Amino acid sequence: MADALLRAGGGMAVSLLIAPATGDSSDAGQLGVNTPNFQQLPLSPAIFRKARATMQEDQLAQYELLVSASAVQQQVSALQLISADALFDTAAGVLINGAQFLIESRSVSQSLGQVYLYRLLLRETHALLQTAS
Amino acid sequence: MENAKDTFYVTLRNRLAALNPNRVIILRGVQRPGILMEEAEAVVPQMPADVFVVRWTGLEVDGQLPSALAQMMCEIHYTTGGTQTNGGLDRGRALEEMDGELFSILSPNSAQKTNYTQRPAVAMETKVFWGEPQFSAMTTQRERLTRVTKVTVFAFQEQGEL
Repeated sequence: MADALLRAGGGMAVSLLIAPATGDSSDAGQLGVNTPNFQQLPLSPAIFRKARATMQEDQLAQYELLVSASAVQQQVSALQLISADALFDTAAGVLINGAQFLIESRSVSQSLGQVYLYRLLLRETHALLQTAS
Repeated sequence: MENAKDTFYVTLRNRLAALNPNRVIILRGVQRPGILMEEAEAVVPQMPADVFVVRWTGLEVDGQLPSALAQMMCEIHYTTGGTQTNGGLDRGRALEEMDGELFSILSPNSAQKTNYTQRPAVAMETKVFWGEPQFSAMTTQRERLTRVTKVTVFAFQEQGEL
């Protein structure tokens, strides 16, 4: 039901960025020299929207991402994690239409004790978008 | 300056691994000594406990010398809530242990500057050196005890740097 509603609301695919299965243990990997090679885990369907208008100077715009619990559960199972919390705790951010966002907070919606939707509050990163040369 | 910062971090990391191999953190899928350079890691909502977090703040450059001397302020943050075994009641002792470890790994107070952007890393001509640590007053936030220790790090800029 949640999936159908998300698709009807313009459901899109986003990617959760998490550390690679084989981490970089080199010095350069710990010094910000090497690229982190984050895995991109697809989550779909999802709805992405601006949480509220930016009203004050220097106040960063915040965005809301609604993600289907079934999509999250698929990734939790694929990575053999114990919970969705473990998945989000390891996430470095979310990639949406090529732009990276940081996860500020998250909450769930439940029905009869079952989680059917994850709501992530996101903030744009200041990392420069690099184009492939 | 980046080579000096990298050298300072790697030096402290290697010394910590030798001093207390049990102080570790799992970060981006890798277990490593419990010290990290904040600016080289993903943003986190709360500072990790029981590890040293290296943060670079101030910078001054003295250009009146034959080689420019960079003076960088390094803040080393660490916080602990004690151990679960002791219900957190040993948090004071845990912080004191970290104070001692930090004091130990900062001595001797110099290291050969190394360029880690090359593989293998290349030793440079000069050394990175630093002053005595300035331990700040401990702050308490409910069960978490936190301290910030400041260290001034100096490095001459070699050809090709700066």
